[in-house]
Amino acid sequence: MALHLNLLHEEILEQRLRQRDPLKIGMLVLAGIGALMFLWYMGKAYQTLSIRNQLNTIQEDWNKIEPKVTAAQKRSAELKGIIGTTRVLDTMINNRFFWAPFLEKLSRCVALNAQITSIDGTVLDDEKNVSVMLEGLAAGREPRAAAEELRQLLLEQLGQSYHNVNIEFKTLEDLDTLVKIGGTNMATARFALSVTFNPSATAKGASPAPKSPKK
Amino acid sequence: MKKLDLSKDELKKLAVSAIGFVVLLYVYFGFFLGPLRRSQATMVASIKDLQDKVGSSQDTLTNVTNLEKQASAATTQYALLTNSNPEGAPIAWFPPRIKVFFANKQIDKAIARLEGNLSYKDADLAGWTRYNWTIDLPQTDFSTLGYAVAELENTEPLLSINHINIHALGEDPQFQQVNLSVATAILKR
Repeated sequence: MALHLNLLHEEILEQRLRQRDPLKIGMLVLAGIGALMFLWYMGKAYQTLSIRNQLNTIQEDWNKIEPKVTAAQKRSAELKGIIGTTRVLDTMINNRFFWAPFLEKLSRCVALNAQITSIDGTVLDDEKNVSVMLEGLAAGREPRAAAEELRQLLLEQLGQSYHNVNIEFKTLEDLDTLVKIGGTNMATARFALSVTFNPSATAKGASPAPKSPKK
Repeated sequence: MKKLDLSKDELKKLAVSAIGFVVLLYVYFGFFLGPLRRSQATMVASIKDLQDKVGSSQDTLTNVTNLEKQASAATTQYALLTNSNPEGAPIAWFPPRIKVFFANKQIDKAIARLEGNLSYKDADLAGWTRYNWTIDLPQTDFSTLGYAVAELENTEPLLSINHINIHALGEDPQFQQVNLSVATAILKR
């Protein structure tokens, strides 16, 4: 049997020990993982940079548009305000009660034998009704009938333009004073008429006349 | 299976390597990758927000153009209504205007007095004020008054007569004394 002598035994053992050094292996593994992580990080950083570029581009676009959009939003709010205000003002204008046509109708109803001495009219805000108090004198052989004639005529004339017209005497009293109309002395009566009506166009339909009970 | 035969020194080195690995992971995720991801998320959210804004801006611009077309009549009317009243305190210009108006209608004497003013409750009329006035016409005849009132109601759309009182003058019954309570809507300036 041949004798083998290994003179490098110690060196080989040292080399083997160096090769299986866990710290060294660990450092190598760590370095490898570190390199991978660095590459991953670089990839992510590149991705971030590209996102940032995209953000900057969009931001520039937005900066160009923003003044226009802000102005447009402001104008839009302004226009909506104008439209709203005009609508409300239109309603106010259209819902006004016009006194001139009423005065004209009233003047047409007053005959020669009647005189209106006072008109006191009010537009009632709550129900959009109009209330007018008329005071005057009526003359004739039967002055009360003359006053009633005026009431009837007013009722007819106002009923053509307004709704829910109601005219009633508040006072009607004979006077001792005589007036001369057309050369004839006539008796006089003083009256006060309360007139109420609704000038709005949306009036309720006329209610049918109540049927007289059968006897 | 070959069993690992590690010495005490090797185990210590292995433990140090493991600790180093954990520290490396912590530093990597905590100080490098984490902030990067957060930054990315913030930027992506900003991009989405801006894209939404840019997208809706087109709609806004289109809507305003359409609204401008639709509101042309309202804008014109609004301009007419606001320009019908001059700038300055209404008490300074309204009574003289009324006086001139009735003078042009052959009613020589007209006195307008301010009774008060109040703001409208309607939100659309937040910029407007209601002024209540009393107009006294000491002497006029019914026919002239009728025409004047008609003209007043037609030329002053924002004026409404709330109360009218006409009574004959005792000594001169063909003439009447008139008192009008009117309200006007005036833009605050």
